[in-house]
Amino acid sequence: MATAMAATAAERAVLEEEFRWLLHDEVHAVLRQLQDILKEASLRFTLPCSGTGTEGPAKQENFILGSCSTDQVKGVLTLQGDALSQADVNLKIPRNNQLLHFAFREDKQWKLQQIQDARNHVSQAIYLLANRDESYQFRTGAEVLKLMDAVMLQLTRARNRLTTPATLTLPEIAASGLTRMFAPALPSDLLVNVYINLNKLCLTVYQLHALQPNSTKNFRPAGGAVLHSPGAMFEWGSQRLEVSHVHKVECVIPWLNDALVFFTVSLQLCQQLKDKISVFSSYWSYRPF
Amino acid sequence: MRCSLQAVALWGKKAPPHSITAIMITDDQQTIVTGSQEGQLCLWNLSPELKISAKELLFGHSASVTCLAKARDFSKQPYVVSAAENGEMCVWNVTNGQRVEKATLPYRHTAICYYHCSFRMTGEGWLLCCGEYQDVLIIDAKSLAVIHTFISSQSPDWINCLCIVHSMRIQEDSLLVVSVAGELKVWDLSSTINSIQEKQDVYEKESKFLDSLNCRAIRFCTYTERLLLVVFSKCWKVYDYCDFSLLRTEVSRSGQFFAGGEVLAAHRIIIWTEDGHSFIYQLLNRWAQMGAAYKTFSGLSKSIYPADGRVLKETIYPHLLCSTSVQENKGLSFVMGYMNERKEPFYKILFSGEVSGRITLWHIPDVPVSKFDGSPREIPITATWTLQDNFDKHHTMSIIDHVPGAGTVVVTSSEYVSSLDKLICGCEDGTILITQALNAAKAGLLEGGSLLKDSLPHKVLKGHHQSVTSLLYPHGLSSKLDQSWLLSGDQDSCVILWNIFTEEVLHKFFLEAGPVTSLLMSPENFRLRSDQVICCVCSDHSVALLHLEGKRCLLHARKHLFPVRMIKWHPVENFLIVGCADDSAYIWEIETGTLERHETGERARIILNCCDDSQLLKPEFALPVTSETHKHKSVEQRPSSSCQFGPIPCPGLQVESSWKVADVKPFSGPFNVLPVKTRWSDIGFHILLFDLENLVELLLPTPVCDVDPSNSFYGSEILRRAKSTVEKKTLTLKRNKTASGSLSAEAQAKPVSENPAQGENTAKSLGDNEGIKRQKKIKNSKKMHPKPSRKVDANITIDTAKLFLSCFLPWGVDKEFDNLCIKHLDILKLQGSVSLGLASNEDHFSLMLPGWDLCNAEMKKDYSKVNLFSKKVLDLSNKYMSTLPNQVGMPRGLENNCDSSQESNTLNTIVYLLNRLFAVNKLVNTPLELACGIDRSFKMESVHKARIPGNEISNISSFYGYLRNGKSESHIPEADISLLKLISCWRDQSVQVTEAIQAVLLAEVQQHMKNLSKRAGNGQPVSMTEDVHCEMRQILQETEWTREEIELHCTTDTLPLQTPVSPVKHDSDSNSAKFQDTEDMPDRCVLEESESPGKPRHHSWIAKVCSCKLC
Repeated sequence: MATAMAATAAERAVLEEEFRWLLHDEVHAVLRQLQDILKEASLRFTLPCSGTGTEGPAKQENFILGSCSTDQVKGVLTLQGDALSQADVNLKIPRNNQLLHFAFREDKQWKLQQIQDARNHVSQAIYLLANRDESYQFRTGAEVLKLMDAVMLQLTRARNRLTTPATLTLPEIAASGLTRMFAPALPSDLLVNVYINLNKLCLTVYQLHALQPNSTKNFRPAGGAVLHSPGAMFEWGSQRLEVSHVHKVECVIPWLNDALVFFTVSLQLCQQLKDKISVFSSYWSYRPF
Repeated sequence: MRCSLQAVALWGKKAPPHSITAIMITDDQQTIVTGSQEGQLCLWNLSPELKISAKELLFGHSASVTCLAKARDFSKQPYVVSAAENGEMCVWNVTNGQRVEKATLPYRHTAICYYHCSFRMTGEGWLLCCGEYQDVLIIDAKSLAVIHTFISSQSPDWINCLCIVHSMRIQEDSLLVVSVAGELKVWDLSSTINSIQEKQDVYEKESKFLDSLNCRAIRFCTYTERLLLVVFSKCWKVYDYCDFSLLRTEVSRSGQFFAGGEVLAAHRIIIWTEDGHSFIYQLLNRWAQMGAAYKTFSGLSKSIYPADGRVLKETIYPHLLCSTSVQENKGLSFVMGYMNERKEPFYKILFSGEVSGRITLWHIPDVPVSKFDGSPREIPITATWTLQDNFDKHHTMSIIDHVPGAGTVVVTSSEYVSSLDKLICGCEDGTILITQALNAAKAGLLEGGSLLKDSLPHKVLKGHHQSVTSLLYPHGLSSKLDQSWLLSGDQDSCVILWNIFTEEVLHKFFLEAGPVTSLLMSPENFRLRSDQVICCVCSDHSVALLHLEGKRCLLHARKHLFPVRMIKWHPVENFLIVGCADDSAYIWEIETGTLERHETGERARIILNCCDDSQLLKPEFALPVTSETHKHKSVEQRPSSSCQFGPIPCPGLQVESSWKVADVKPFSGPFNVLPVKTRWSDIGFHILLFDLENLVELLLPTPVCDVDPSNSFYGSEILRRAKSTVEKKTLTLKRNKTASGSLSAEAQAKPVSENPAQGENTAKSLGDNEGIKRQKKIKNSKKMHPKPSRKVDANITIDTAKLFLSCFLPWGVDKEFDNLCIKHLDILKLQGSVSLGLASNEDHFSLMLPGWDLCNAEMKKDYSKVNLFSKKVLDLSNKYMSTLPNQVGMPRGLENNCDSSQESNTLNTIVYLLNRLFAVNKLVNTPLELACGIDRSFKMESVHKARIPGNEISNISSFYGYLRNGKSESHIPEADISLLKLISCWRDQSVQVTEAIQAVLLAEVQQHMKNLSKRAGNGQPVSMTEDVHCEMRQILQETEWTREEIELHCTTDTLPLQTPVSPVKHDSDSNSAKFQDTEDMPDRCVLEESESPGKPRHHSWIAKVCSCKLC
């Protein structure tokens, strides 16, 4: 076993030199690369550029949401940055062959909080990196590890915001502002929810029916879930309601896919840099701050 | 609840790292509070001469601290709130270091502002918080519960910073915030308090886009009530508060990032940067300059303002007056703040905390001026300090300092084996030292202990070539494994299996996978061919399974890209499930060593969550670098029965659970050494933990002494529910029976009995019968928990007790007294003050830092006193002394002529003292709510309580068969009651536990010594063993009694707080107890009568007395 204890002074010197190179050159190279990737990622989120401010509204993108299994629900959602600016939902009810159509009120926008949070986390990460440009000299490995930990924390949170939609209870969905966004107003037996799951924009429409007060069914309110299944029950106002049909339609947002890939790549870069630093841990740990 | 845990820290030469992320100075300018990346808070003492000294380290957060703020009107309560990266929030009392409140919310705060409006608000006020969530959260400052939010109607976004504007002019408080996107928003505060309390939506009053990103601070000029300073990372701007028109933008130099700013005075501001520089500017008005060259804007504003009104935009330009800077450490990140106090003797202070742990203060002159030639003046640093400075200035020792040959070796890992009292330390140079922990501690702490230095038994295991990074003593986790085995892993990924008794290497495993970060053992139920396996996590993220019996490596799983966070075992399928930091899961087949599956995202989460029923091991502590859990979890010796700890698979990096004192709980002895490693460094230290309760239990030779007062307290709560007195009688009888049999078991089953009791609190209409049934059930469950037999060497126990006394006694109060202590208690004097620590019931720990005792200004000049916690201790001690009866309550009659009895006397005295301390500790720790929470049926309680001591007395009396005159009475001498009242009084006055313990210890020992010298004079032989036991009994009863007392207090208020002035008894003959009894009896009868005129209890009480007499 070649050990550092047995290592000659020359070997030590070489290792020291290598570590210095790592801290002074390699770290900055990686940080540069990270910054480039994250800038690319943040461009996807159409961050307002600093200085120039609002140069007109962010560009609008239309997404047609559908599902391969059913054509009962169709939705056209317009995304403007992190906000839904328009929505058209068509719902076909086979029972009476009725076609329902809802749209957002003109004056309203619906913020997709998941996208906003992810975007903010990315810009926090960029900010952390921007404070450590080439002119900055890292002195210890611990310093790099701390920076990487902070950046990775932001990136992991950014990714998790997109990969884990909020689990809401049915009353929470009913109470959310989204249901009040439509004109004409949503009928009382419909609930709508919009969220991001990984790279997909998802729209769920719940059809409800009221439970008779004397119903023999065991009333058990459903807990929180991303997607509730038919049969889920809840209490809203004085009424007890049950989900009769669930329609979920979705559409891939290409730039979200890119962003997720960027997150994964940059997380791996961070970890690799940490691993590189750790190789020298027996050296850096005994250096004074 | 393990409130009896007392701690002493052995810090070593190097200070633990403290990378400051948040800093504040309290309003009284006496304490600096810092929060660190490592998760601890540090309290620093700030003297009136602006000298800094670290005082106390507070452990409570498991992630990096993000912000600090005051949490109350500081003059009333010295509370500070801290928030951590993972959503934890704690409120601390910064004068005594105790944690007042804790909550974990799913929000990460970056700034907190305390707001209180006394005439419109009930409660303790609000904490206005912003952070990584939309808009502003309003959190109750007392309960830390979310009250409501301030909502923005336009472009809601994360908020970067906030400030509260109190404007005298418009008589309205406003909340000003700047969002991440650079939007300034204003909410009305004082006029919306009602709407907030009614949970109505409150939208912003105004909003304006500021056109810059990364806002770092927003400040309102209260002097002019006109200017608004907004600091962004690349520029700072001044706005007119009236119409938010921009008056000035100043852009930073390249490479310079602004971090904050503050208004010093009218038209004078200070701006600081991330790299620790600050600049003081005078804001000049161009018009003013044109008119009269060197007059300030404020002087002229009146004359110019009405003239042109708003037609022409005013412009302001800054003139740099002064600057501050730090010489070394350029480029490190700083957090800074400014404190403006206009009143004398307060200062205007600019303060900064560095990531390296250094604090720097600048005293800003009241009127900063530039040099005569107009160039900026440099303000010198007033004070600077680090934790390490404290360590250098004051003598500190590590636990192995006195092990011969250890010298200056750096300990890189350690493990304490309580069953052998062995401390195993892996060192930087590859050696492993094994030493007797207790002796090592004594050698280091005590004066005469240096004699021990040479004879300190120790072993050195040599086999590693690089620093030892992890240790595992398998027998401590599973008794089936060989007692002689020890595993150690080093930097070079070599794992050695040792026989610690013969000191030979049994086997070396070469893993070739980087430093071994942790060694874990598979749970009981997972066996491979009937053997448990060792799991070894390496820093290249690989996991190796080692089979000790077979001396081979079963599996080396090397595919993980991210650090290993979690290891689970699937016993049925023979799978090893590895959870990584990126939330992915790897499933390995152990037999074949193949990767069965790799999952990410939601699936991985399900997999990691689903096998909760199987055993889970999280290598929490041993991944100090990689894991977010900053602290070490050096949780040694979990008994094998409690292997399934905390399955908390949090998403993301923030798998937390740090320093849980709860984890320390299952340790089996009265003494324990907790090795602590710090994150991002190799610096570690040790904490000696004394379990007072356990110590008392072990020292008392009789089983009755296992009675846990708190337990009977809970039990009594149940009993209280029973409404009919008749039934209560039977209950008590039952209790009586079981009490003698399963008392020890009861102590174990405390939590079991507690919960039903609380349940019953809510179920008010619970019938009597049900109550009894439940009571029975509890009894049964208690029986099902037999107490594990504890075999602890008696000598070790006594040594532990002596060390404990040495550590807690305030030395140097009186030289002669010190010598008496050394002589009669057979304890040694301390070399210097020890760093006392306090473990509270949950996951909070506070440790004094070296030099803490010099922080108190009044004690500065008094170097003769060692280890005195605070000046208050002496006062308290005197008070206690004056309440203490002269003779009663102390074991008497030390027969000096016989050596053997001297020894046993010493022991008895020690036992007595510990018992006292335990009772005091228990009393002071009993939370007030618990004591006075129940107003219902206090009568019953008093009745019941009156009984319990009696029952126990009858137990003892039957046990001892003989009791001396009068001693069998179920009464506590009045003096003792007043002592108890005094102590409960202390609690109400928020005397710290340590203070109380020291005071009582000092008083008791002094009293004892006084008696001793008196005895020596008249040499009156009195048999004492029974006495001692009686004393113990009484102390145990006392705890009962006081509880009752307290409850009576709180519920009825009929009992005045006359405690401190209660009369002092001076009867010096042994009959005094009897006297007191007779005096006391009518008293109590009256008390009972007045509260519940039921007869049966009277009878039973008398009956009890009778039974005692019979025995």
